[in-house]
Amino acid sequence: MSKYYLSIKAFRFIWSWAMIIFMVACSTENEPMTDTDNFDRQVMLVNWADNIIIPGYENYVGKVTDMVNAKNVFLEDRSTENFDGLKNAWLEAYIAWQSVSMFEIGKAEELSIRDYTNVYPTDNAGIEDNVNSESYDLNLPSLRDQQGFPALDYLLYGSAENSSMILARFEAEENLRNYLNDLITRLSDLSTAVLQDWEGGYRDEFINNDGSTASSSVNKLVNDYLFYYEKALRAGKIGIPAGVFSNTPLSNRVEAFYKQDVSKTLFMTSLNASIDFFNGRYFNGNGQGESLKSYLDFLNSVTDGSNLSDLINDQFTSTKVQAESLGEDFYAEVENNNDNMLQTYDELQTNTILLKVDMFQALNIQVDYVDADGD
Amino acid sequence: MKKILVLALISGMLYSCSEDENLSPSVNAPETYTFERNSSSTVAFNGQTNRIMMAKELVGGMLDFAMTKEQLLEMYRNETASGGDAAPFENSDLNSATQSIKSKVAASSDYFSTNTTESSEVKADFESWINAQIDEVFPNQNKVAAPGIAGQIADGSSTRYVNKLGLEYNQAVAKSLIGALMADQMLNNYLSSSVLDANNNQQENDDKITVDGKSYTYMEHYWDEAYGYLYGTATDKENPNPTVGSDDDFLNKYLGRVDGDEDFSGIADDLFNALKLGRAAIVENGYSLRDEQVKIIREKVSQVIAVRAVYYLQQGKAALPDDRNNEAAYGSTFHALSEGYGFIYSLRFTRMPDSDQPYFTKSEVDTMLSKLMGDGANGLWDIEESTLDSISEEIAAKFDFTVAEAGS
Repeated sequence: MSKYYLSIKAFRFIWSWAMIIFMVACSTENEPMTDTDNFDRQVMLVNWADNIIIPGYENYVGKVTDMVNAKNVFLEDRSTENFDGLKNAWLEAYIAWQSVSMFEIGKAEELSIRDYTNVYPTDNAGIEDNVNSESYDLNLPSLRDQQGFPALDYLLYGSAENSSMILARFEAEENLRNYLNDLITRLSDLSTAVLQDWEGGYRDEFINNDGSTASSSVNKLVNDYLFYYEKALRAGKIGIPAGVFSNTPLSNRVEAFYKQDVSKTLFMTSLNASIDFFNGRYFNGNGQGESLKSYLDFLNSVTDGSNLSDLINDQFTSTKVQAESLGEDFYAEVENNNDNMLQTYDELQTNTILLKVDMFQALNIQVDYVDADGD
Repeated sequence: MKKILVLALISGMLYSCSEDENLSPSVNAPETYTFERNSSSTVAFNGQTNRIMMAKELVGGMLDFAMTKEQLLEMYRNETASGGDAAPFENSDLNSATQSIKSKVAASSDYFSTNTTESSEVKADFESWINAQIDEVFPNQNKVAAPGIAGQIADGSSTRYVNKLGLEYNQAVAKSLIGALMADQMLNNYLSSSVLDANNNQQENDDKITVDGKSYTYMEHYWDEAYGYLYGTATDKENPNPTVGSDDDFLNKYLGRVDGDEDFSGIADDLFNALKLGRAAIVENGYSLRDEQVKIIREKVSQVIAVRAVYYLQQGKAALPDDRNNEAAYGSTFHALSEGYGFIYSLRFTRMPDSDQPYFTKSEVDTMLSKLMGDGANGLWDIEESTLDSISEEIAAKFDFTVAEAGS
């Protein structure tokens, strides 16, 4: 007994010394940051707004407008050809969305645009109730999983056994056509409101809020970016369907569950957009401006002896290499080859740590969101 | 008797000397909560298991918009308004059970046997929350909540339903039951000398005279009933801590949550070990060792409630929207503060280990709740960070933890 007790004491003694040594080691490696650095945050904000966010939103709104038009043509004449046109327009808009979803700031934040645009799995039973009752208010939080691209995915690809039967439903059911119309109109309203706000004055507000407080544009958008990377990209698109957060894989949680063979396209677009944002690459063309990468390089940020931005970009590259090996259809991938999904998750997770811990520390930014309690 | 005293003294001395060891030579706690007499178990707490399950159905029912007031109140009472037999529960075993939630709300021997006035006030609080859920929130199921208007509001991917002040009545009921039902029965009733040692219990326990038709003595059984309010729905009721936190939505859940905070890790083991050792002490007639465990249990269970109260106040503060005019962004704050409301309400049922008093009196709790809801005419819509901090500080000051430790 006493021997045991002594050994605990000895252990505690050694441990406390180990901690002290560890802390000293840490503090020499990472120079304490001062509150302000000389990096011109506004130049970076201008690059983000003018070359990435606004062009991304212009592209998205353009694709949504195409979808509105395709919908109008289809509702006028419900031919197979027009139905295919609508489905293609839906996919184009859904892909375009992947490049702007991460920018949940300003009007997008106020409207919670992501929650009304891309919550999946969609509630197909709730959708059918709405179609039947014709009584629904798409502004309600409880209807977030009965609208947006996933709800359209269900209407266009899952609302009957096969494509011709789905087309027959649209032909026969005015309520279903109305619901389709309402969903697409809402996507159009939401996206247009956000773009108009950027073009109307929010752009200046955004670039002028160039301080380093928690409510500054950089701190907020970097948090939005990380939140998106962690929750929507890493967890939503890969981790949750692969069963990382549950006892078993949940293949029905993949994005575009009804269409199925586009889940990889959506994911890769989202991943590439995340990488491009980190590196400050323009949405259009090959230009590149000030970015999180150049900010880290300016600060000469080093982790474990290596340049931090290189570490992050190397990890992005290995994530892409791994992700390229995934099949087009994540439902099938989870069902048949889930290890591949899990390996992709692991690659994404590795960068979560570099971004959330090392990058945030280097930039002296606090994480402003909490992991929900789940109750 | 003398022998017991000497034994207790020695065991007390040994106990105080050995920091890392809960056992004394006279009383060996078993590895698990397993106690037998003549090869049959002496442990029973079905009534507690039933009440936890009833509470779960009641709380779930408060968000089932097809429910009527009558159905919810019948769940609360497990009888009709006129006192007749009711069958409100989905689980038919609960319908045939004799227990009810209401009869054990604010019903402990120590706090309420001579204070039926307050007991009936507390019982009525729960009925008023249930009624208000039906009267105020249900009709606005499909309205967006706004200051002064009940309705729904987004909290992350969840949708919450609040009254016009931003309070979720279902959370008020759920978290207040942790104090008014679970903790009150456990700390102030079944672990109380007024119950454990009532009548001739100690002599009968010394002589191992069991209850008619049962394998346990009264004292053993009362102790088990205290255990049941914490571990009554555990996956493994004899060795419950491996799943602590996921076995109910009440005291067990939040013991698990507090234990998961590194500032408080080990509290679940401390509680389980104290319950186990106290029960073993009863078997060995070691009443002072038993009472030492009672103190530990009272302190730790009270701490769970206080830590969670502070935690939710701080979470509510952290979640406040940057733009206080953005009404859609209040959902996470409201949800946290509604849970916090219930944990504050529960503080009145805590128990200081060396006293016959709670850490906070009813009037202190009432004052804190008025402050929480009183920063403006619209209640939680108007909440100020300084109010959340001051209530947090007031709670933490009575305990051995800081706001920062509890708040994350």
